[in-house]
Amino acid sequence: MYAEVLTQVLTQVAAVVAFLLVVSVAAFVGRERLVATVREWRPRVRASAPAFAVLLVVLWLNRVMRQAGPGISERIGVHMTETFYDLEGEFVLVFQSIATGELTAYFSFIYVYGYAFLLIFPGIAYFALSDTRAFRRLLTAYSLNYVIGLAFYLLVIAYGPRNVMPEELTVTMLYDNSPEYQHLTREVNRNTNVFPSLHTSLAATVGIFAYETRSSYPKWFPIAVVLAVSVALSTMYLGIHWAIDVVAGLALAVGSVWLSNVLVGRRSIAELRRDVARRLPDRDDRE
Amino acid sequence: MNCDSTDPGDGVSRRAVLAAGATGLVLPTSGCVDRVESAVDQEMDRLALSITTVPADGDREAVRIARELEANLEDVGVDASIDMRSRSEFLETILIDRDFDLYVGRHPAGFDPDFLYEALHSAYANEAGWQNPFGFANIPFDDALEAQRRADGDEREAIVADLLETLAEEKPFDPICFPEEHRVARTDRFEGWSADHPESRHGYLGLEPAENVDRLRVLVTDSRISRNLNPLSATLRERGSTIDLVYDSLATEHDGELVPWLAEDVTLERADADDDHVARARITLREDCRFHDDEPVRAEDVAFTYRFLEDTSLGRAEFESPPPRYRGHATAVDTVDVEDDRELRLGFAAGVEAARRALTVPILPAHRWRDQIRSRAEDTTSFTATQGEWGLVTMDNVPPVGSGPFRFESNSEREHLTLERFDDHFTRREDVDLPAVGVEQLQFGIDPGSASSIERVANDGADFTASMLEAHALDSVPDEPDVDHLAAPSRTFYHVGYNTRAEPFSNPHARRIVSRLLDPSWIVDAIFDGHATPTAAPLPEEWVPDELGWDGQDPATPFFGSDGDLDVETARAALESAGYQYDDQGRLRL
Repeated sequence: MYAEVLTQVLTQVAAVVAFLLVVSVAAFVGRERLVATVREWRPRVRASAPAFAVLLVVLWLNRVMRQAGPGISERIGVHMTETFYDLEGEFVLVFQSIATGELTAYFSFIYVYGYAFLLIFPGIAYFALSDTRAFRRLLTAYSLNYVIGLAFYLLVIAYGPRNVMPEELTVTMLYDNSPEYQHLTREVNRNTNVFPSLHTSLAATVGIFAYETRSSYPKWFPIAVVLAVSVALSTMYLGIHWAIDVVAGLALAVGSVWLSNVLVGRRSIAELRRDVARRLPDRDDRE
Repeated sequence: MNCDSTDPGDGVSRRAVLAAGATGLVLPTSGCVDRVESAVDQEMDRLALSITTVPADGDREAVRIARELEANLEDVGVDASIDMRSRSEFLETILIDRDFDLYVGRHPAGFDPDFLYEALHSAYANEAGWQNPFGFANIPFDDALEAQRRADGDEREAIVADLLETLAEEKPFDPICFPEEHRVARTDRFEGWSADHPESRHGYLGLEPAENVDRLRVLVTDSRISRNLNPLSATLRERGSTIDLVYDSLATEHDGELVPWLAEDVTLERADADDDHVARARITLREDCRFHDDEPVRAEDVAFTYRFLEDTSLGRAEFESPPPRYRGHATAVDTVDVEDDRELRLGFAAGVEAARRALTVPILPAHRWRDQIRSRAEDTTSFTATQGEWGLVTMDNVPPVGSGPFRFESNSEREHLTLERFDDHFTRREDVDLPAVGVEQLQFGIDPGSASSIERVANDGADFTASMLEAHALDSVPDEPDVDHLAAPSRTFYHVGYNTRAEPFSNPHARRIVSRLLDPSWIVDAIFDGHATPTAAPLPEEWVPDELGWDGQDPATPFFGSDGDLDVETARAALESAGYQYDDQGRLRL
């Protein structure tokens, strides 16, 4: 019976996100790039396979840690709820003063649907570029966000504002207004995983990439920025994250994007291997 | 007085003062330096208190009480903070590690006042578990606890009344209120819902499933049920929970009465005055009862259970290792004599009333638990069974083998626990006058939110919410013909617990004053929306003497202020007259 509710929510999210993706692909990617992608998908997949494999491993790790994490956290983690609350106090309650029904609906939608769309669309968009580097870098940056984020989740045990200030947040609290989403977020997260905000860091990562690729996707850039900012705000508006988590999420995004730039070469591993293979016979000739 | 040490007119240059300070020569004339130092000291000496509680996901009302207390403590100059722990870690911190200043939580209580014996007797002050987590030790109070245990009837009532008055003076913990237990049930698939506590042995008995309904879908907000079914675990459940469905006890409590259960017949009587025991019982077990592994339930298993609940290592370890649960139950029993496979005689250190509680412990299969102890004792060369923490009392015990009306079917962590009807159970026999289990399968699904649980019952995604619904979510209970809203008063009570082992709460005055920083009447109105009853005593009304009756405020430790608004001056004055001091910035010193 638990699975039923989850399936229901998942189906709904999948349907909405799929619709958004179709519209966006048509609007931003365009026919030409799609045709080229259909023609060249094999080498592109080959080029991106390692980055993709790494991301899958990281996501699997995330899954494993959901079960094993609490045990490890108990041994090595530090309780930080008090610290965060002492540092920023009731800052996130500023959003309560501007709360309206429409805004709550907007941020709830952004937190669940907007976020999912924001993460998936760049994957499609960058795969549709003939240069695979943006795609490989994006996947690598996602992996880095997750790995570093997970490490912090093990080390920092903290509850978000909704767990500390329930009465002040009742108006906007996501799970009170839309209890069905709790089943979804529970699948991927635990209530002590708040520092840093992975919603913020992944959304900001997409935002930074949109800036860097604005010459390829000029119209996507402003949309991505609006969505990314909305996601970061939604985590505080809905009482899920502290401002400190959001700031840390932004830092994590900057760090991950920078690292992805360092780690991911201009040319893919597949291309490098081909080059090396080509050069090796040359050397043989010389000897 | 001119206090600017950089002023050359002072005669002492700044550098000289610094040099003097650095070499440890404290100049008697440099009063400013002294002041600086004492300000630093004051900061270090400020009274800091950490309030341990669970997050809102665990108990929203507890967090709110804790935050109210935090704010009021800050107002009287204490450096207060909230230490938030998950439900199991909260219990671990309070019951096992005893590493806290004060906490806000809900006590499972019990159907007889004798639960106070376990909760407060000084003999348990150093044990880990539900026994005396406060570290409270008071010799006259111990005497009263023992006296109420031995007494019956009016005499006992008088002793309990005195005990409650001492408790209100001493305040090892401060009772706040009894919540109401709210639940929702669907009536189209099952009939016969009552306000019976669903975690009691009678909870799911007598429910009539409609045709073709073979599974009862129950929601719980607490996922611990899906990970651990060890009857001895202190941290993975508050009340008996599902344990009472899987394990039988000799007798069980229903509507305040003791009902024979695994025992076909219980003769419990006060012993003669010259007897070694206060009360004696003759027990006859029902015929041909079996554990879920098909082994018979024998009088031997009952004797084993009471022996085991005294020392879980059965004497194999260097030190005795009493369990972190059922401690008071087991010590009420002095002797167990097995007469034959079905007959036993019990001798009690308690009167008839307190002895009843001892008959409600789960009866464990001796063959299974003996094996467990043996294998653990053989694994290690020097066998130590750390009290309250060793493997046997913390293991998950999945699958559990009991003899109860339900047996374990499957579980999935954080998702569900599924039990199935145990067809051989005596409640299903024609000649047994007890309601039987109708449905084939009982599935506990985990749904962390009260609001989402209600929604699922309303949408026919579940039949029942077994966990107490939180007060804030009650407005969302739909008014539909197929959904019943069940409400019953609770025995459990919200309270503030103090660690009386350490400063400042080793001092009863500190406990009393902090108790006066909370206004239970206001808490009930504002936090529970009126779905609770404020109280000054941890027992139901019939035990509470008039002097302790609630008359709008706690008669022993009334709130400093009114309507939840703290009168800071009065509270500070009370602290000062209790010997506490304030610095010039109004901060309370240790």
